[in-house]
Amino acid sequence: MIELLTGLLGHAVLSGSVLALAALGEVIAERSGVTNLGVEGLMSLGAVVAVMTVAAIPHPWVGLLMAGLVGGLGAGVLALASVVLRANQVLCGVAVTFLGLGLSATIGRPVAGMPVPVIFEPVSVPMLSSIPVIGPAVFAQNILVYFIYLLLPLIVHFWLFRTRYGLDLRAVGENPAAADAVGVPVTKLRVMAVMIGGILAGFAGADLTLAVVPVWSDGMIAGRGWIAVALVIFAGYRPVWAVASGLLFGLVTAIGFMGQARGWPVAPAVLNTLPYLGTIGCIIVPILAFPRLRRAMAAPAALATPYHRTGR
Amino acid sequence: MSLKKPFFFGRRAALSGAGSFLLTSGVRAATPRFAPVREEDLLVAFGHTSPVTDGGWTHAHDMGIQALKRTYPKLKTLYVESIPYSADATRIFRQFVAEGAQMVISTSNYGDFIRDVADRAPAVAFMECDGHAVSGNLGWYYITHWYASYAIGVAAARLSKTGRLGYVASFPVPSVYAGANATLLGARSVNPEATMRVISINSWFDPQAATEAGSALVDSGCDFLCGIMDDPGYLRVAQDRGVWAAMWNTDMRQFGPDAYVSSVTLDFAKFYIEQVGARIRGDWKPEARFLTLGAGVDRDAWGQRVPEVVRVEADAVRARMLGGWSPFQGPLYDSEGKLRVAEGHVMNDMELYNWNWQLQGVSGLG
Repeated sequence: MIELLTGLLGHAVLSGSVLALAALGEVIAERSGVTNLGVEGLMSLGAVVAVMTVAAIPHPWVGLLMAGLVGGLGAGVLALASVVLRANQVLCGVAVTFLGLGLSATIGRPVAGMPVPVIFEPVSVPMLSSIPVIGPAVFAQNILVYFIYLLLPLIVHFWLFRTRYGLDLRAVGENPAAADAVGVPVTKLRVMAVMIGGILAGFAGADLTLAVVPVWSDGMIAGRGWIAVALVIFAGYRPVWAVASGLLFGLVTAIGFMGQARGWPVAPAVLNTLPYLGTIGCIIVPILAFPRLRRAMAAPAALATPYHRTGR
Repeated sequence: MSLKKPFFFGRRAALSGAGSFLLTSGVRAATPRFAPVREEDLLVAFGHTSPVTDGGWTHAHDMGIQALKRTYPKLKTLYVESIPYSADATRIFRQFVAEGAQMVISTSNYGDFIRDVADRAPAVAFMECDGHAVSGNLGWYYITHWYASYAIGVAAARLSKTGRLGYVASFPVPSVYAGANATLLGARSVNPEATMRVISINSWFDPQAATEAGSALVDSGCDFLCGIMDDPGYLRVAQDRGVWAAMWNTDMRQFGPDAYVSSVTLDFAKFYIEQVGARIRGDWKPEARFLTLGAGVDRDAWGQRVPEVVRVEADAVRARMLGGWSPFQGPLYDSEGKLRVAEGHVMNDMELYNWNWQLQGVSGLG
């Protein structure tokens, strides 16, 4: 039983890390008022660039860095179109997804199906990794996992809610006209937020190919970018909750597979829908139970609205 | 056992078939519909369900195409990857015809989407892998992978200590039933207590899901993983967890050299060369074809840690199957204990191809 719980939790942590990272990036972008629907494509680019990089320079950190760079550049294209040129954010986001998926399939051909030469190996934390159940599941993971769950959400939370820069960023997402009036550079902040989100999406792709499943194949993101976008709404646009919801999603997915492996008397099709049912349930139930949450979890007021200074 | 799924004939197809019979039956024998064509004039179009770089199913077909091009260097070929199972498929196959392809080969099942096109282009030879219908210009082919799976199952029972086998499946479709059932039947010929647990991940290709499914199976006591995935996800799990794994499509031992047992390997080269040759000579006929063990599908060379005695035993079973013996004979019971194949009845390839119930000892496919 203990082994089972360890396995379950370990997998939830590992597979949830990809979603958590992408969702965290999306929180930053959406807090500034830009919906980035290009996450799926940016993750795909990050995943393939990471593999191509480590194939040339066998060092996982270099691969991660390049993936972040490419993710940021891809998001830069989106920012240019949807923030600077004020095109429709939904259309631009979907376009970036298709661009990213197509581009990664094309440039990834030489490395497709090839085993990745170096990966982020698990690192056990002394002392902590000997705690029963939680130890092996949480404290014997690769180093990215620790960054994603322990460090990054705290940094992003602190930045968004405890610094002047974070306040400006949130103001731009809530009421860009007011922020502009007091001298906050709306366009600059939005471009920056989208690009940081893109960097994290690129990292998420690299996390998938350098830590979770070390091989690149076309289509391997398999919709996880879209799930990350959904998780942001579920998490009420809060960085810590976004990471937690990634973990929850990973856990429910793992439970679904466990149910099939243990032969629970539930149809496999139902078990496979568990993560999605769980997400819907987790959004609806708390809001029904605590109506005041609806406001607290609401989207930034200016989300998906391009800002025109002249239209004030 | 009678066939659960009879050949599908749409009403329109039946009518057009009848019409063409009335109109051309007298002359067909004299003038073959598919006239000979010179190698350099022949354009063969391939439609794939996934990218040729998938490392699995489509990669195996692509290897066949490469061999085809080596045999017929002047032949023109083209292919489209990742064709969705939707009306887009119809559009793409129609495009093949418009491009002037005299032969269209779909390497996956597209059902009515390809039939519609075939019916309207009677001069073009169509072939569909994993198809179900034969018409005047549409044939289908598939591999009899169940024999290879059976041989691997024999090895599985010898290698597994717990007798619990795990199967990472895509969807509950006949190729999955046949794969899981055949592997367990092979295992039970050695260890009658062996069981098979199946997880469906609702995808043919999702490395992360396949990895998680493999882990869940190992966590619940399986020490031999097999499946029908295009990617090596669960092989890596087996390598990390110190259990065994058998794969599908291609040799994937580099992803888990210690865990690798074998693979149901596919080789379409000979078949494609033969079919295109027939088209060039003008004697191509639409038919249903099974590529048999040793001629299109086989077990892969055994993994480095598979003991000699296990290899010999499984290969002896394979040799018997090559000699014409079939292990798929009654009495066979389903997972609810109902007799499905009567004593003395040997399941033919068409029954195995349409296998849609799980064998006693298999669970998870429903």
